[in-house]
Amino acid sequence: MTAAPDAPGQPPPAQGTPALAVTSLTKSFPGALALDEVDFEARAGEVHALIGENGAGKSTLIKVLTGVYQADAGRVRFLGDEVRFGTPLEAQDAGISTIYQEVNLVPLMSVARNLFLGREPRNRFGLIDFRAMHLAADEALRDLGVRVDVTRPLRTLGVGAQQMVALARAVSVDARVVIMDEPTSSLEPREVATLFGVIRMLRDRGIAVIYVSHRLEELYEICDSVTVLRDGRVVHTGRIADLDRLRLVSLMLGREMGQVREEGLTKFSGDHAAAGEPVLQAEELTLSHMLHAVSVEVRPGEVVGLGGLLGSGRSETAKAIAGALPPESGRVLVAGSEVRTGSTPAAIRAGISLLPEDRKAEGIVPGLSVRENIALAALPGLSRFGLVDESRIDRIVDTFMERLRIKASSPHQKVGELSGGNQQKVLLARWLAMQPKVLLLDEPTRGIDVGAKAEVQKLIDELAEDGLGVLLISSDMEELVEGSDRVVVLKDGAVTAELTGDQVTEDLLMQAIAAPLPADAGDGAGTPPGPRKEAGDD
Amino acid sequence: MTELTLRRSELDRARVLRLLQDYGVYAGVAVLILVNVVLTPNFVSGENFRTQAVQVAPVMIVALGMALAIGSQGIDLSVGSVMALSTSLLSLYLGYGPWIAVLVAVIGGMVIGLANGSLIAFIGVQPIVATLALMVAGRGLALVLLPQLKDVRDPGMATLGSGSVLGIPYLVLIAVALAIAVAFVVRRTTFGRQLLAIGDSRPAAQLAGLPVRRVLIIVYVVSGALAAVAGVIATARLTASDPTSLGTLMELSAITAVVVGGTPLSGGRVRIGGTVAGAVLIQLLTATLIKHDLPPSWTQIAQAVVIVAAVYAARERGKR
Amino acid sequence: MKSTAQLGRTAVRTLVATGLSLSLALTAGACAKSEDDGGSKDKDKGASGDGGQVVSSPSAGNAKTCTIDQFGAEKLDLKNATVGFSQSEKEANPFRIAETASIKAEAKKRGVKLLTANAQSQFSKQISDVQDLIAKGADLLVIAPLNSDGWGPVLRAASAKKIPIVTIDRKINSKACKDYVSFIGSDFVEQGKRAADQMIEATGGKGEVAILLGAPGNNVTTERTKGFKDRIKAKAPDLKVVFEQTGEFSREKGQSVTEQLIQSNSKISGIYAENDEMGLGAVTALKSAGKKAGDVKIVTVDGTRNAVQGIVDGWIHGVVESNPRFGPLAFQTLDTFTKGEKVAQDIVIQDSAYTEKNAESDLSKAY
Repeated sequence: MTAAPDAPGQPPPAQGTPALAVTSLTKSFPGALALDEVDFEARAGEVHALIGENGAGKSTLIKVLTGVYQADAGRVRFLGDEVRFGTPLEAQDAGISTIYQEVNLVPLMSVARNLFLGREPRNRFGLIDFRAMHLAADEALRDLGVRVDVTRPLRTLGVGAQQMVALARAVSVDARVVIMDEPTSSLEPREVATLFGVIRMLRDRGIAVIYVSHRLEELYEICDSVTVLRDGRVVHTGRIADLDRLRLVSLMLGREMGQVREEGLTKFSGDHAAAGEPVLQAEELTLSHMLHAVSVEVRPGEVVGLGGLLGSGRSETAKAIAGALPPESGRVLVAGSEVRTGSTPAAIRAGISLLPEDRKAEGIVPGLSVRENIALAALPGLSRFGLVDESRIDRIVDTFMERLRIKASSPHQKVGELSGGNQQKVLLARWLAMQPKVLLLDEPTRGIDVGAKAEVQKLIDELAEDGLGVLLISSDMEELVEGSDRVVVLKDGAVTAELTGDQVTEDLLMQAIAAPLPADAGDGAGTPPGPRKEAGDD
Repeated sequence: MTELTLRRSELDRARVLRLLQDYGVYAGVAVLILVNVVLTPNFVSGENFRTQAVQVAPVMIVALGMALAIGSQGIDLSVGSVMALSTSLLSLYLGYGPWIAVLVAVIGGMVIGLANGSLIAFIGVQPIVATLALMVAGRGLALVLLPQLKDVRDPGMATLGSGSVLGIPYLVLIAVALAIAVAFVVRRTTFGRQLLAIGDSRPAAQLAGLPVRRVLIIVYVVSGALAAVAGVIATARLTASDPTSLGTLMELSAITAVVVGGTPLSGGRVRIGGTVAGAVLIQLLTATLIKHDLPPSWTQIAQAVVIVAAVYAARERGKR
Repeated sequence: MKSTAQLGRTAVRTLVATGLSLSLALTAGACAKSEDDGGSKDKDKGASGDGGQVVSSPSAGNAKTCTIDQFGAEKLDLKNATVGFSQSEKEANPFRIAETASIKAEAKKRGVKLLTANAQSQFSKQISDVQDLIAKGADLLVIAPLNSDGWGPVLRAASAKKIPIVTIDRKINSKACKDYVSFIGSDFVEQGKRAADQMIEATGGKGEVAILLGAPGNNVTTERTKGFKDRIKAKAPDLKVVFEQTGEFSREKGQSVTEQLIQSNSKISGIYAENDEMGLGAVTALKSAGKKAGDVKIVTVDGTRNAVQGIVDGWIHGVVESNPRFGPLAFQTLDTFTKGEKVAQDIVIQDSAYTEKNAESDLSKAY
């Protein structure tokens, strides 16, 4: 399918020559250096994995490559020529196509219209030649092994098929570089197989594919080379075959295997005497594309870590337990009695409290005062006949501001004006005022300064000692390992391992994260050193 | 050094804007009163104050409900049509006596509010779209029920419309009582706090386990009820039910009163005192221009200027 | 996007359901009981023959006329013809109600088949209404136009089929006797002049008066204002128009504006309201300000029953009629025309007036 009249006229570059290369690329945002002297090269006829954890700079790099952002410094060479794309359209016209997680096409238009949007074949009256367009669209899709009625509106297709249309469009505009941002995140396994077939076809045609994903299996299956970003810098680049999984994970997370560490860098004190019946039991939680029969147990006084890479289903597990995401199946029990799933109020009434990952958007109510934020969830209990009991609120607010050492000019200061650490403490206070049985902490120390971090960690410890069950999610390996009594490892939305007792070390955790998915999700064969979860191990 | 002074002046600017947004409306009212005291004959008279208060009462009552809707990060465009529906129902049920008729009218407004709230809370329709739909439907329904203007001769309604106690018209007393009640609800009740939290950050409120849907539905039911009361009041004052023209463009006047009163359109904040003052400001502005026989188009232009100024102050402050 | 569309559909469904249940709940017929149920004395007012129109011009023979030969159509017998009537606005005010009722009553009386349509104040709907009427087989058309302009395409279609058209109450900017036959209507400038005469008589030609203007940008407003002011200037230079504010033809606005006026100007001796509703609003305002009947002279235009009753009660000095009962005259014109005789191109009707002398006796003529 080479009907595009506006495609660059050159023949495809020879396999292996650089299609898109950047040198010393730097981009900063107010208060943050997103890309720091990044060198990166995608070669023709190669699938290049671009990976990194949250905030590593992947998306910034992609946005600079596609003209969304302008780099502060550095050079971009495309097919050997230095270029500078001012807008995404310029990049697209030059031959760089991007396929996002969410398909950016027009859902109500037909498949064919979407394929040829902006460059429709015309008849001699200057009108769209629908017959020619439908034929060409059909051919282009069949080329990719997709058979659909091209006159149907795009939205009537499945997500996978829509992605194929996006791909077909990318191919038919004669792209030289195709960037894919987590293309498989919402696909069924069968669709993934089709997608990979197409990617291989693109590669064989001499197109450079830049592939962003968090699924290690996929990377090893489809990619030829890999670049690992961390904190805005390239920490590794090379052939993916030369890099074992464990090494890859340790590069992403920035933790060395066997690294000798001083204990006590975090404020966690070590093990807690977890005893008695589980206070929280999540059983077989399932959410389409996100969670597959995830089970977790927490006992009173225990801190259970949820380990895994970005996108492994950690936050989704926490949200499903807290009622913020409705699971399709599975149960949640608190102290032995079942909680209605999919309802935040029900979960809260049962004693589950969630400190969400996105503190600013989902946690604090920025325009309200510290006082109102702390009292927010507990309000009905602090009211009589719908009237707020101000003096009781004052007492509770004073207690928690003192106990959690919240620094604010007064209880009436707006929460939005506080530092991240103090905002997090306000949220903790909000939940502690509810006297919860279980605390779900999703990245409780992300984005807060060192001092506050230590304080929050110490608080988590104290709370566990007081008998609360804590489920801790953290991308900080050190925090996870030192803070948790047990760590449950998630991968692609399923529990793949559990580390207990002496096994809770960074080395073993990284091995568990890097281990390939077992062939059968329910079976532990060939999995990491950590023993599989045992039923009722108390 | 220069940077520091720049910062300082920026801070001063922010503070001025903040003061302007919070108290500008009161200053505006004061200025207009002063201007009229000097320029308008018979302005300082009980009769004139009564006239202005009576005329502003319906707008003020509608604006109270609008303030709640805007505070929840929504809006209620159906208020004018609810007034029309209210006057139709009132006229239709007056045969049972004024109390029953008023009750039916207010329930009618609450039903429209319930429809608004359900669309918004359960189906997730944007408030502007949901209430626009009910704005069209409500006016249509009002005209089906009562196709043309009809005189109201009920003595009870006449008393409501023109009676007074200690020189204060009943209509004004009702409006003031409602304003105090709504201010109390916003400040002192669980509902009020939850409303503000939902308006400021709905995801956070949801995760904090707040009854988001219930609160939103109550907001629109209350707004509908208040608009219906305004419809009753306007009917009593006119001694006629006129569903063709009653309440037209009321939603704009109410939104103006709320915004001018310092309630940001982005939600999370409700200023009842400011809303009342905002309604008074618009009333005085209109009255001034009419009394001095300036072209009617001036009123619209003057209102536009006030709105732009208010929104500008709010925006600048929002940037911070 | 998919989900949005679905949401939209669900929303519409809910809305429709809500709307239906609402109307059911609210209109549950037997429940409603308005103040004057049982005494439906106002029913079929306007349909009655009294108060029918009289032609004021052309009185002289020099006015332009039209015959069916000039127009190019064939003679026919009105009795066997189908007449289409296109109304511009919803029958939600006395004028439109009386107008439509009068057309229907006259058609019934003459035994003519009548097709009707209402444009609900949407010009595009009126255009398609007229096209529909033609398609349904109307041989003759009576149109109450919403606008004066924009009739080109429809009129061309009608004249191609040689369908004679009479427009009532508002004129169309097009060629008489070619695109349409005749226009029957009031002279709004003349109405303003006659209102001025009444005002001069009421005030003795001295003092200050106010005008409650109609909706801005409406030709009725501009013409009724022009006639009034011109006549005052010519006949009573001592009478000053000191106040002109719009009441938008609504009672509520008329009331509000009058309240402001009498607060700040106690010397006002007369109010000219450009329709009855605003005048009635002014009456309400005067009453609640503690004024007595006759303190301020009110003159209005239209001739609705409420306003004429106002004269009887002493609150309104005079009402200039704008007669909506076009039925008899419209059909008479069509009859004459289809027989092949001459009709005038512009038929201006003689509007009567109500004063304290005839208000009580002619109350039944008011609509």
